[in-house]
Amino acid sequence: MNLAHLHLLLNHFPTVGAVIGLGLFVGALVTKNDGLERTSMLVLLLIAVSALPVYFSGNAALEAIQSRPDVSKQFVARHQDVALLALVLMGITGALAWRGLWQFRRNARPAAWNVYGILLFSLLTVALMTVTATMGGEIRHEEIRPAQDVSQTEGTVSAMGAYVLAHGWVWPTCETLHFIGLCLLLGTILTVDLRMLGIMKSVPLADLRGLIPWALAGFSINLVTGMVFFIATPTQYTQNVAFYWKIVFMLLAGINVLYLTFDESWALPEGVDAPLTAKVVAGAGIFLWLGVIFFGRMLPFIGNSF
Amino acid sequence: MGLFIWLEHTRFAIWLHESESVFAFPMVLLLHTIGMGLLVGLATVVNLRLLGCISRVRLAPMLKLFPLMWLGFWINAVTGVLLLIADATNKLANPVFYIKLVFVALGVLSIIAIRSQVFRDPALDKVPISFNGKALAVASLVVWATAITAGRLMAYLGPRHAAWMIEILGRHS
Repeated sequence: MNLAHLHLLLNHFPTVGAVIGLGLFVGALVTKNDGLERTSMLVLLLIAVSALPVYFSGNAALEAIQSRPDVSKQFVARHQDVALLALVLMGITGALAWRGLWQFRRNARPAAWNVYGILLFSLLTVALMTVTATMGGEIRHEEIRPAQDVSQTEGTVSAMGAYVLAHGWVWPTCETLHFIGLCLLLGTILTVDLRMLGIMKSVPLADLRGLIPWALAGFSINLVTGMVFFIATPTQYTQNVAFYWKIVFMLLAGINVLYLTFDESWALPEGVDAPLTAKVVAGAGIFLWLGVIFFGRMLPFIGNSF
Repeated sequence: MGLFIWLEHTRFAIWLHESESVFAFPMVLLLHTIGMGLLVGLATVVNLRLLGCISRVRLAPMLKLFPLMWLGFWINAVTGVLLLIADATNKLANPVFYIKLVFVALGVLSIIAIRSQVFRDPALDKVPISFNGKALAVASLVVWATAITAGRLMAYLGPRHAAWMIEILGRHS
């Protein structure tokens, strides 16, 4: 199995999953079923998380097949452009779904704008995922290709990558922001996890909720700047084992944070120790984020990036 | 200065710089990054608290975060010296290196000032944060962001590294 196979395997999760998530969500709204609504939000969130490795594996697939004569570069470029847009929309849908889950967690219904936001963005996501999947299929299946190739351009994603490489200030600026985002994310998550572990026990955990937007800000900064690096020089990541591990650790750390989102420990009042499970999860969270930093830092050393 | 240049030529510093082992230079760099995350990350949480985010959290328990910040500081003091002696000639010739050192010093001073001005207040958690406390928090955030920026740009603005970066970017474009 090569990385092209991985992409062909993984790409069904966001395409099919977004449709299922949207279907469940609409069903929940029609039947006014809160339990189903929460489930559909969780599905949309998990699908958003899974979309990231699918996008990365796409570049790996491209490298595996690009030398073949029957692969159209224009079709690849268009597929890649739409895929990035679908990824962004899916990310927004996932963020809105996460916020909705938080509202449910606090025993309140999500605000109307949040519900309609999820509806709108999941609809857009499903539409773009469908286009992405169709264009992806056209790369190899000549029989379903339109007769005439409409564009001869390199594609927007390639153009963005070329812009980064042509302008020397972009890379160092993004790296600096990546480090600042790291501090924001690590500091906030560490504070919450340390409270779970029993340091600052006199602080009710719910009072730390105000840190979540800052953690999200740190994560978003690093996601965007990280994507800039990936788009500019994909081969130094797709051929880098440290990058694969970094993504694996990031997904596990994301699931870890998700667990803490749902866990009853958030109701822990002042002075009360967290249960053992919450402590294990908090400890694992610190380990996983340090793992993300480890493999990120090792990208140039274990792997081939700079 | 001469001391660091001399240290650069010790067998240990050469091993740090030249060894292919991930336990040499890469591990020192990793620890420097984690130390930064501890020190600046937790200082950021304290600063955000002083500026009104998570305002229901009392300040007194947040004192427990300070030892971890100092742990981060000492990790970085040690790994910083190691990174310096691994590449002393270049770093000492780089103006950005001195800018970074100044801002790290200012950042540490800001944490000490917050500890002694805000947290030692006998009326802690009984009165709102003073204007001085908030000003210190803003200064601390700005100073740390500058220190990180300078640290990162050392790799790009130094005499040797600029040429190196151009060569690498050229290889990819």
